[in-house]
Amino acid sequence: MPYILGTNFLETQFVKSALESFYGVGPKVSQRLMARYYIHPTAKIGALKQQQIMAIQEDLSNMTIGNDARRILKDTIMRLKEMGTYRGRRHALNLPVRGQNTRSQIVTARKHNRIVDRTHG
Amino acid sequence: MQPTTARLARSIWKGPHIVPLPLARPKPGQRVIPIKTQARSATILPNFVGLKFAVHNGKIYQDVTVTEDMVGHKLGEFAQTRKRFSYKMSKNK
Repeated sequence: MPYILGTNFLETQFVKSALESFYGVGPKVSQRLMARYYIHPTAKIGALKQQQIMAIQEDLSNMTIGNDARRILKDTIMRLKEMGTYRGRRHALNLPVRGQNTRSQIVTARKHNRIVDRTHG
Repeated sequence: MQPTTARLARSIWKGPHIVPLPLARPKPGQRVIPIKTQARSATILPNFVGLKFAVHNGKIYQDVTVTEDMVGHKLGEFAQTRKRFSYKMSKNK
């Protein structure tokens, strides 16, 4: 069972999904990483060479992912709130931030637009 | 400093939205008179820091004291235009 950045992954898991399990790594970043080390999009963790795992690990450790990325997001929202901007207020009220209508359907905003995002926390 | 959404939306060649405002620094000891303005879309420039503005919100002029963090944002972001809804019971039923 190979370790990537301290996380244990099953050999049967797709490399793409394993990479995207880190906060801050999405489809774009994972695609770029896999292309860099000639990994097929549908390759599984078990098929990776030790060298490839080490290389990916080094690249990931140089990126702002995980708790660092979360902290940046939180700091930005806190900054907006402390300044007293409209955006900061909307975050504090759990309402849409970018001028969407609020007559109905603001489920996503209620979930995510918080000072501390619990779904990404 | 983080890039703001306002900055991302605007072409670089235009530069910041500069509005000619009567910027007068108050002399120490004198009473601070806020700079009255309706230019909510004016970008806050670094030389605004420490000044006090009275920004129009459509009804009244709200006092905004510019801090270092606010540079790059617009004046209007700090003067709320909407009041929160609160239910008032009507007298005549």
